[in-house]
Amino acid sequence: MGAGIAAYLSYTRLAHTQILCTSGGCETVQRSRYSKLAGIPVAYLGVATYAVLLATVASVRETAAAAGAVVALAAACFAAYLVVVQIAVIHAICAWCVASDAITVTIAALAVLRLTRTLE
Amino acid sequence: MRVKSRKVYAAVGAAAVAMAVALVAASLLGARGTSHATKVTGPTLPGAAETAALFRGIPQHGTTLGSPRAPVTLVEFADPQCPYCAQFTAQTLPVIVRDYVRTGKVRLVFRGLAFLGPDSGTALRWVLAAGQQNRLWNELDILYRNQGTENTGWVTQDLLDAAARSVKGLDLARMHSDQGSSAVRAEAAAAAAAAGRAHVPGTPYFEAGRSLASVRPLALKSFDPKAAAAQLDTLLKR
Repeated sequence: MGAGIAAYLSYTRLAHTQILCTSGGCETVQRSRYSKLAGIPVAYLGVATYAVLLATVASVRETAAAAGAVVALAAACFAAYLVVVQIAVIHAICAWCVASDAITVTIAALAVLRLTRTLE
Repeated sequence: MRVKSRKVYAAVGAAAVAMAVALVAASLLGARGTSHATKVTGPTLPGAAETAALFRGIPQHGTTLGSPRAPVTLVEFADPQCPYCAQFTAQTLPVIVRDYVRTGKVRLVFRGLAFLGPDSGTALRWVLAAGQQNRLWNELDILYRNQGTENTGWVTQDLLDAAARSVKGLDLARMHSDQGSSAVRAEAAAAAAAAGRAHVPGTPYFEAGRSLASVRPLALKSFDPKAAAAQLDTLLKR
């Protein structure tokens, strides 16, 4: 679901199309100075992150679980930062982004749980 | 907890924190590095000659551009701060103006919105004030050519004054008095109401039809001028 949201947001950027948005702030957020990281749209990075997480799930090795936890935890921290930016800096909420952020935090929790079980 | 597990958790935590700090730092540096305001360095703004050439000789009345007898009316909902609107104006509009408006086939109607923030409202009132002198499309075009980063305070009075000086025939003193006039406020309110009725999801957003009363949503497939031209040709054939 998270990958789907990130893919949709990436598509709207690529196609210069309007975002279906219930909160009214999606375009403001998507066009803000914080919508890119080192020149790369955050939505694209979201798709890449979900792909990496999927790849780590495919392996049962301990290193894969650890790598998944690192990426997921870092992504969750960055997602929390992006939510703070939306509220405190941009003063607009992108519902799609917040949904993706929530999914990222959930994945981080699951990734830590998986690591714990792998190490047991 | 086993020593090995403890070491793995510590390593995972440290790596995650390091990665998150790097991401946040890159984001903050990128945001800071983005240009904020449009600098006004001369009496007129860059692009004034191109704007004048684009609209020269085409009739304007209030928010409309082109012949009132044009068989197709194209309505554009746009926010002066919207980067995609600026992109449309730079890439697609010149072809539409040259091949369809100048030739009397299409009439353009501007529906100005100010939903992106305070700079939008300031710029929109200025643009609509130019409409009181029948030079709205010139003023909008020159502002898009010199658009700053949204909601950074780029719409300064210096910028607006220079934008007005960049359009031949605009009375600057009248612009100052008209930007807060009831006519300008009414036009902005009418556009916002029309956008509400049309459920405009974002800008730029278009409607087209045989008359203003019969316009229907027109989803431009891309900002490619050829694609837009093909859609207008289809409308003209109906």
